[in-house]
Amino acid sequence: MNDAPARALDAAPVPAAPKVKSRGLFPAGRTGAAMRAALLPVLVIAAWQLAGSGGSLAGGVLPTPDRVWDAWVVWAFGPQGMGLNPYSGTWLSNVLFSSMRVAQGFVLAMAIGIPAGVLIGWSRAVSGTVDPTIQLLRPIPITAWLPFSIAVFGIQDMGAIFLIALGGFYPIVVNATHGARDVDRNWIRAAEMMGASRFDVLRRVVLPAALPAIFTGLRIGLGIAWTAVIVSEMVAVKSGLGYVLWDAYYVGRMDVVIADMLSIGAMGLLSDRLIVTVEHWALRWRRLQSASR
Amino acid sequence: MGTIRFREVVKTYPGKQPVVALDRVNLDIGEGEFVALLGPSGCGKSTLLNLIAGFEEMTSGALSFNGGTVDSPGPERAVVFQEAALLPWLTVEQNIAFGPSVQKRPRAEYEPKIRELLRLVGLERFAHSLPSQLSGGMRQRVGIARALVMDPKALLMDEPFGALDAQTRMSMQQLLLDVWQSLGTTVLFVTHDIDEAILLADRICIMSARPGRITREITVDLPRPRSVDQLTDPAFIRHKAAIMAEMREAQKEHA
Ligand SMILES: Nc1ncnc2c1ncn2[C@@H]1O[C@H](COP(=O)(O)OP(=O)(O)OP(=O)(O)O)[C@@H](O)[C@H]1O
Ligand SMILES: [Mg+2]
Repeated sequence: MNDAPARALDAAPVPAAPKVKSRGLFPAGRTGAAMRAALLPVLVIAAWQLAGSGGSLAGGVLPTPDRVWDAWVVWAFGPQGMGLNPYSGTWLSNVLFSSMRVAQGFVLAMAIGIPAGVLIGWSRAVSGTVDPTIQLLRPIPITAWLPFSIAVFGIQDMGAIFLIALGGFYPIVVNATHGARDVDRNWIRAAEMMGASRFDVLRRVVLPAALPAIFTGLRIGLGIAWTAVIVSEMVAVKSGLGYVLWDAYYVGRMDVVIADMLSIGAMGLLSDRLIVTVEHWALRWRRLQSASR
Repeated sequence: MGTIRFREVVKTYPGKQPVVALDRVNLDIGEGEFVALLGPSGCGKSTLLNLIAGFEEMTSGALSFNGGTVDSPGPERAVVFQEAALLPWLTVEQNIAFGPSVQKRPRAEYEPKIRELLRLVGLERFAHSLPSQLSGGMRQRVGIARALVMDPKALLMDEPFGALDAQTRMSMQQLLLDVWQSLGTTVLFVTHDIDEAILLADRICIMSARPGRITREITVDLPRPRSVDQLTDPAFIRHKAAIMAEMREAQKEHA
């Protein structure tokens, strides 16, 4: 009994990093990494600004970065209800409208997609009954559901939430199915020999074993949820980032259009980080595992 | 009670080319007996063990445990797997508690027992570690503790030390000897290591492949209690020579 615990450092010897050597242009460490990451965006913005001030950008249609910034500041912090600029001061409420729809639709997608996927992966009977229908409907793009959704739900929130839930549902259900299907056979056998019922196996083995795949599905599904909210707000609802995007385009406010695009990107990134944080917490056991392998 | 009985048991894996993994196997294991199943890779050792564990169904024949039929896995036939097969998201303690907890036994009853077992296998300090933080030998000790906590009538072990280095393996063999000598559970132990079979078992069943059959049974009459020090005893060497001769003999007959 002299075997020592396998520690990450013993298992995977990493070559010692050179002390204070910079890699190319940037200093080593976090600051250097941040500088490296910022290089490309800074260059693109600078080039865009330069090209735009000559008035040559797409025949002067595209605003320069400084004008986009100004538009966003007014959109975010300007006084509300001034007739001249309908967007003034409405950024936060539009962000919240879109976010709430994504949140509601996505919770719905999770509430149906996770249990459905785990059951399909776990039970051949459920798989045979439900999976073919899902596979049949899945190739229909969510954009193709728009007229259906408007016809059924009208121009209101439910239509958007339906599209978001549907778009998020597919990747969640598909990944959860794979996760629940690929469970190590010996884990299930071990649980059974310890007296676990079929339901115990589902809850205490299949579900935790499928979690990594489920989180993969959640992240993909969330991306689609943001696509769905923008599409449905452009067509079927009268508020939110998607509505402002299309409306601003119609009245020729390209500065607002671009500020809106960047806002959508920021929200997408933020919500993805939120899931990654939950994932890190829920899959703590897995990080330790990969560190020691 | 923990008797195991195979009568003319046949196991065929269906498929395009069906594999006859076991061909009319007969085997009797008595209460408290330690039987080793020895044979080359692919001869059907795991298949035999999986049948009595309830993981697989036999094709024909009769199979009984304690006189009753076997139709599903259960805690009276605890299995120790080759790669331990611990649940990676549970700590050592939670892995051992899995059985009692799904059986809805009172916590107050099994918690002291788990502490006792952790001490027995030398893992008290690792009660809250995850399996991935343990070495292979330590994981296997958790696998053994997880089986013992259920007070099984039989321990079914499928090459439990096959993946360990020689030194760890010896310490695990000694641990198993000590545990078994104090508990007296029936053990069916699969291995392809002759030394291991002689050291541990009361009786060795030698299997041959294609078709998988038990071709010889050899009683090991080394005195108990045994220890790994005996690996170099003259009596041990004599046994080994005899078994190797038997195995050659068996191979010739079935060639
Ligand atoms: N699920 C299965 N489907 C089809 N054939 C199988 C299956 N499991 C085992 N076999 C076949 O049955 C035979 C016996 O396999 P088994 O795993 O019992 O051998 P073993 O003695 O345990 O070998 P090893 O020492 O390598 O573990 C082999 O020829 C194997 O290929
Ligand atoms: Mg095997």
